[in-house]
Amino acid sequence: MQRSLLASGLLCFLLCRSFAQTNEPSDSAAKINALMQEVGELKAQVAELRADQARLADALSVQQNKKETGTAQTAEVAPTQEQPRTTGNPEQPGFSVPEGIRIQGFGEASYKATDARPPETAFFGFRHSANNSFGVGDLDLFVTSQLTDKSMVLSEIDFRETTDQNFDVNVERLLLNYNFNDYLKASVGRFHTATSFYNAVFHHGDWLQTAIDRPLAVQFSSDGGLLPSQAVGVSVTGKVPSGGLGLNYIFEYGTSDTVRPNILSPEGPSIDEGNGNGTIAGLFAKPLALPGLRIGGSFYHDDLSPRVSSAGEGSGSSQDRGGDGTIHIGQSIGSVHAVYVTPRFEFLNEAFLIRHTVQETGEKFNTAAFYSLISQKFRSNWRPYFRYQYANASTESPIFPDVGLRHGPSAGLRYDYNDYVAFKMQYNRTFRRQLPTINDVMLQLAFRF
Amino acid sequence: MKRYRTYLTAFAGLLLCGVVATMAAQQETGVAVVVNPENPVSSISSADLRQIFAGDKQSWSSNLPVFPIVRAPEARERQVLLKQILKMTEPEYKHYWLQKTYSGEAPQQPVTVFSNGMQLEAVRAKKGGIALINVEDLRAGVKIIKVDGYTPGTPGYPFK
Repeated sequence: MQRSLLASGLLCFLLCRSFAQTNEPSDSAAKINALMQEVGELKAQVAELRADQARLADALSVQQNKKETGTAQTAEVAPTQEQPRTTGNPEQPGFSVPEGIRIQGFGEASYKATDARPPETAFFGFRHSANNSFGVGDLDLFVTSQLTDKSMVLSEIDFRETTDQNFDVNVERLLLNYNFNDYLKASVGRFHTATSFYNAVFHHGDWLQTAIDRPLAVQFSSDGGLLPSQAVGVSVTGKVPSGGLGLNYIFEYGTSDTVRPNILSPEGPSIDEGNGNGTIAGLFAKPLALPGLRIGGSFYHDDLSPRVSSAGEGSGSSQDRGGDGTIHIGQSIGSVHAVYVTPRFEFLNEAFLIRHTVQETGEKFNTAAFYSLISQKFRSNWRPYFRYQYANASTESPIFPDVGLRHGPSAGLRYDYNDYVAFKMQYNRTFRRQLPTINDVMLQLAFRF
Repeated sequence: MKRYRTYLTAFAGLLLCGVVATMAAQQETGVAVVVNPENPVSSISSADLRQIFAGDKQSWSSNLPVFPIVRAPEARERQVLLKQILKMTEPEYKHYWLQKTYSGEAPQQPVTVFSNGMQLEAVRAKKGGIALINVEDLRAGVKIIKVDGYTPGTPGYPFK
């Protein structure tokens, strides 16, 4: 009998306790109200204490003034009155954001084997004319500093290995940003242009991109890419009030200086496009209902005065071998993109139409290009990917005589060893018009620090 | 002896129920979204909250810069942020923010602090501050805002 009573008592106790806890939400609401009431009371107490403190400080300052002569010191008392007011004040505590310069580094070591005879122009530090070689590629330092709540400096300094295993230092990006609000963000300096989504989002840190290399269309122009990848000027971007559609605009005006190597022949002359000032206007949507989706496009225009420079010479030291100023070309680039990126899934699609119009003759040369990349992360660190790219330029094109028609798939696998190191392997097959097909195998160890 | 065994089984079962109920009750205290009292915002949608902690919304409607503050890994508020708001794992969150700042889309990733006391201090100090704080750790000097029209502790509130 006693046991039955004991068991019943325990049952009641536990049921009551359980019931009380399931009503926790309403208890929490009551608790919040009680807390808010307590906050009000505490605020009143703080106000009283402050008033007392101020009175005490006044009294002390009067005594101090009596001891020390001169009326000029009266003004200096004010800070000593303010000092105790800020200490212990719950609305102005001592929290501060760490200031200074933040540096993030990216690096990689790569290996490439190709069956192209002769090999095409190398990048990543691979040696020209070599069918297989190692290269360090880029040492990329990303430097930022928050100046105020609304302004910051962003810089990307790239130490790039050349084909003779020396390093060039380039300031790839240097921007002073000011964010007025979500609708107006202005930047001045050197930036990667918004001629493509890829160019605006992925920079020199290869660790951040899934594949080993960039698609040809959005490759950096110094590596043979088709677009003016850099400019110095002004960039303005922001949201457009559009509700759930999430429209954004971008406008850039700047000076580019695009010098492309001849990708068919490492020893051949490079092409200095002699860009005038370029204008970019773009619009893209990031629907709130589907985070990760971005659809948009941009239009770019500038005027070119192409020159052919000796091989291996940069824009600063190019010696014109003729053609300087003899033709003027209007360059217009239209691009559209549809990308869907989540932490585990990536689907990038971009298409370009580049039109060169020779102003003296009225001839028009169209170059079409696109790439599509899809990847899916499996488990926590394996990410296979597949890419197809296409570029088709006229062999008569005054700007892209070396590109021709080239297209083909790339397949690869990325393995993230941890948050800092990734190993990638990739196979490229490139079909070329009137030229043998190329097979490349690339390996890369990309890291950040 | 048989009756004793029955009572013992019943007792063990009830004890288990009690423990489970206690644990469930602790989970239900909720995580509140708090802002600085000078911020005129009193309610926020889940979508806006995601945009803020994903760096896509960087200023309040009053042009005040948003200053998101997050707890360090393993904290309950961090788990709510990652699982319920951003739907990311810890490495994915780090990778996301690295990409976001590197592309220049966001000036800096949310400031990470090690305690709710520090979160409170940061929200009090920054007019644009916003943080997730366990209801039981709330103190004076911050303002609780509604999420999708619900206050913490009421049925329908999303962050329990």
